[in-house]
Amino acid sequence: MNSLIILLFILGGGALLSYFAFLSKHAFGQAVVWLVAIASPVYFFTQVAVGESFSFSLGGFELALGFNHYSWVFALLIMVLSPLSLIYSTGYMKSRLRLGTFYFSFIFSIFGMMGILMSRDLVSLFIFWEIMTWASYLLVIYRGKDVEHTGIKYMIFSAVGAYSMFMAIVILNREMHSFDIATVIQNFGNMNAADQWLTGILLLIGFAVKSAVMPLHVWAPGAYTNTPTSFTAVFSGGLSKMGVYGIGLVLLNLYSHSDFSQVGIYLAWLGAITAVMATFRAVFQNDAKKLLAYSSVAQLGYIVAGIGLGTELSVFAGIYLAILHGAFKGTLFMAVGAVERQAGTTDMTKISGLIKNMPWTFFAALVAIIALAGIPPVGGFVGKWMLYEAAINSEHMFLVILIFISSTAAFLYSFRFLFGLFLGQQEEETAHIKEAPAVMVVPMILLSLFLVLMGTFPGIIFKPIAAGMAELGFQGVPWHMSVLYNMWGDSVNLTYVSITFGTVFLLGLVYITLIARKGTKHKLSTKDIHTAGEIPKPEDNLNYSLDFYKPFERVLSPLLKHKLDVYYNEFGKGLEALFNFMRRIYTGNGQTYALYVVVFLVALILLSGRIFGI
Amino acid sequence: MMNINDKHSQKIVDIIKEYARKQSLFILAYGTGCGAIEIPPTMTSRYDAERYGIRGAATPRQADVLLITGYLATKTLKRVIRAYEQMQSPKYVIGFGSCTINGGMYWDSYNTINVLDKYLPVDVYINGCMPRPEAVLAGFDKLKELIQAGKAEGWKHYQENLDWYRENQKKVIVNWQMPDYNW
Amino acid sequence: MDDILIKILGAIATVILAFTVGMTYGGLSRKVIARIQNRIGPPWYQNFIDNAKLLFKVSNINHGFMQHVAPLWLIGMSVTTVLFIPVLNTGGDSWYNSWFPNLNFHGDLIFLLYLMVIGSLGMALGAGQTGNPNSAIGVSRGLTQMVGFEVPWVMALVALMIQYKTTSITGLMAAAEQQGTWLAFSSPFATLAALLAMPGMFRYSPFDIVGAPAELASGPVSEFGGKYLSTMMTSGSIFAFVKLTLYVDIFFGGANNLVELVIKTFILYMYPVLWGAVSPRFRTEQAVRFFWGWPVLFGIIALIQASL
Repeated sequence: MNSLIILLFILGGGALLSYFAFLSKHAFGQAVVWLVAIASPVYFFTQVAVGESFSFSLGGFELALGFNHYSWVFALLIMVLSPLSLIYSTGYMKSRLRLGTFYFSFIFSIFGMMGILMSRDLVSLFIFWEIMTWASYLLVIYRGKDVEHTGIKYMIFSAVGAYSMFMAIVILNREMHSFDIATVIQNFGNMNAADQWLTGILLLIGFAVKSAVMPLHVWAPGAYTNTPTSFTAVFSGGLSKMGVYGIGLVLLNLYSHSDFSQVGIYLAWLGAITAVMATFRAVFQNDAKKLLAYSSVAQLGYIVAGIGLGTELSVFAGIYLAILHGAFKGTLFMAVGAVERQAGTTDMTKISGLIKNMPWTFFAALVAIIALAGIPPVGGFVGKWMLYEAAINSEHMFLVILIFISSTAAFLYSFRFLFGLFLGQQEEETAHIKEAPAVMVVPMILLSLFLVLMGTFPGIIFKPIAAGMAELGFQGVPWHMSVLYNMWGDSVNLTYVSITFGTVFLLGLVYITLIARKGTKHKLSTKDIHTAGEIPKPEDNLNYSLDFYKPFERVLSPLLKHKLDVYYNEFGKGLEALFNFMRRIYTGNGQTYALYVVVFLVALILLSGRIFGI
Repeated sequence: MMNINDKHSQKIVDIIKEYARKQSLFILAYGTGCGAIEIPPTMTSRYDAERYGIRGAATPRQADVLLITGYLATKTLKRVIRAYEQMQSPKYVIGFGSCTINGGMYWDSYNTINVLDKYLPVDVYINGCMPRPEAVLAGFDKLKELIQAGKAEGWKHYQENLDWYRENQKKVIVNWQMPDYNW
Repeated sequence: MDDILIKILGAIATVILAFTVGMTYGGLSRKVIARIQNRIGPPWYQNFIDNAKLLFKVSNINHGFMQHVAPLWLIGMSVTTVLFIPVLNTGGDSWYNSWFPNLNFHGDLIFLLYLMVIGSLGMALGAGQTGNPNSAIGVSRGLTQMVGFEVPWVMALVALMIQYKTTSITGLMAAAEQQGTWLAFSSPFATLAALLAMPGMFRYSPFDIVGAPAELASGPVSEFGGKYLSTMMTSGSIFAFVKLTLYVDIFFGGANNLVELVIKTFILYMYPVLWGAVSPRFRTEQAVRFFWGWPVLFGIIALIQASL
């Protein structure tokens, strides 16, 4: 049997099996989940390779599966992140209800994602896309919290995306009589301009919904917050990258050979504006998970900006950032999940000072935050650097400034996140909290070690990315193990940075802990602070957590007055009125309905020439 | 190679140490009483204490000298002790004005302490009611002399005789709810 | 092997130079402010004494590991940056010129901008762990202010990078050498924007609300004493040198020898000091609004000039 089918079989079968296993006995279910979490990556990395293909026909459609170098890059991310989150889930979801549904949807969404990346034709792409969307929708409403708001919002936006994608697929098929992606790419330039424009935009809308580009990002913060955190790691880290994958396909494979190569720039601007607005919103969140949700939207903005710019370096940066974002946002959501499970809340005004209770979680979160903020010598810096250099090299200077504002403001929420959960006052109420179990900590630590490694040797994943870039029309992208070059030939040598910083840090550590250890008193209580001689009682609240960035809020107050949500709500109200009117059409009289049918058929016949091209 | 721990090099280090300690005094001015009014002229242009390396510190963690400017009510004493204990050794206490020496004009008050030395190890007293800035500067000079001679070791004395000080402190402070002094 | 040894020795020489110059400038600024206030002021070497005294403190406390290592992030950052910054022009012919080009050609400006953040992050984490609310407030203000001044500063840098088609400091210096004038003359608006952003970096008045001594008890550093404060002071001095040298390198034609470097950096340093000496204090949002006013306007003009 073909290895691709076996991989899909492991995932799809695992999903079903886990559902039934959890129905019978909890331990069986756990065993199935572990099996899938270990078997799928092992099989993927040992047996599956680029170039293998599989085709079959289903209901008259010729379907083809197979990885190319471009989708392989994303497949690597999914196949590392998802199993780790699955393992993490076995700790995180312990003693919750409806585990069968949870794991079914979880594994099924992985199945969908791998399917998307394998699809070599538009029909299977669409089918897998829908599978992924539905599986993730089930997880968004899994907790039954705020379904009418978040769930519906996610559903509507996904539906809009799916329908526009579907429409584009239909139009493409009408023109080319083929669903094959390679054929579509080849013949795209031959279509007339209006169709090119229309299909591209429709596909972009479909993909942009998942990667939460403004103005289609409205669903994201709520949906990311509402899913069980172990899935949010995949949701934000992996699933959103499917949109990025698609945007790359559309912009670089379809549009770049047409008259619309400029669309990418507009998309880049949208991405940058998304990044700024989402960052500003993230800064003012009091809930750690919500903060990360907004930050995900912002980071996806960078990625889209990178791919939208369309130069060699920027696309490289975009894909690299997509991979890295998967790693660090996965880590961060896992860390938040660990805190949520151990402390019962992620509200940063309620808990603080968990560093003593959960040191490993703190370490993972710290590394991931450094990567998120793009500070050397951790991997996130590499992507940020390439993105800036790409934008500067192509002289999009106001775009650079926007991205820079966003990533400087990102320091604000980065610190807020670490401070809010892990630093600050250690209260008596949180003294009982223990470190999360090993199944939760180990995946986090592994991912954070990967991030540290990326800081000095990003070449490890430059290699597959460079290979994947060839599929997008950038042949022979140069890359080096730990030196970065921009298009003007300026470079950064990461080994020197790591060595210098590391040496000074270590020497300092030796000095400050060993040589000057005399008289050093470690680990005072956090109540033992300068309070002008006043002695704080144990119950006194000395934590600074509410309105943390009040001055920044005052600076931005003119900007923040309007929220995009408001417009959507108004839009929804308008729709409601419209539907109220529509209801009057349904009179309940059979003769009226008959008339409608006749009118519809007449209209169809009259317009069929336009619609189906008959 | 010169051994950093041998007698002679240790001596050089000690000389530098004492010089640095006496030439750089960060004061934590605890403006308890009326004496605090003499601090601004001492620090600003008329007398300019900064030229002797004396400058204000914002928190006890950074400070070297606790300057107690005047009478101490028992309530204030509690805070002063806390501030002193939060300072990093070596640390010095300067009692400022007659009130810290013998209670001054508040000698028979029901809620002020009379002799500061019973509660905190005072290194230098500055007499006067109020002592003028010249006297304050002279007091600092005296402290510097003591540091140079290695005699300003009130902080060691406090550590060694903590029980005695605690006993005295507990006598006047009724609701004793202080964290332990443990460094 | 010898090569590496010479590199290391050169690095040590650079760090010592940066430390000495930074410390001396710190002392001199105290002296200058004192003279403005009609005082005599401390001797120029006062900061060395203060630093030594803090180092010789017998007891040192910390509230946990992050506070313990906070100063190390700072010193690691400042030493690394000083090695990546060209201290002297390549054209200089003094006998000591070969000591200073440590890692100049291995990093560029964008990298440097991000490298400089490591220290602030470590500091913020250390301050956060103390649990002192004043520290957290100080960090929150400091980060907000950073968003303020980074915008014009980055605008100026991006304008220069696009104008001269290079992102490295050495490239910009070479461009200045090639055209024969300082970049301050060929890109005046970028220079203005960068200069107006500079006091925010140095945190003298009117931008010193981050560590307001009386209001916040010196803010982020309020729980640091002894060896921790001493390490921070050392790092701060090196970092002051880094910032000044960076400005001189980029905008004012670099320096051919140490004397020129000292003169240029000192004049540049006096600008935030003197401005601070006669200024009251901005609130955080006022400071940010200041940076987002005229400096950003100059930055935009500089960007437009660069694209012409």
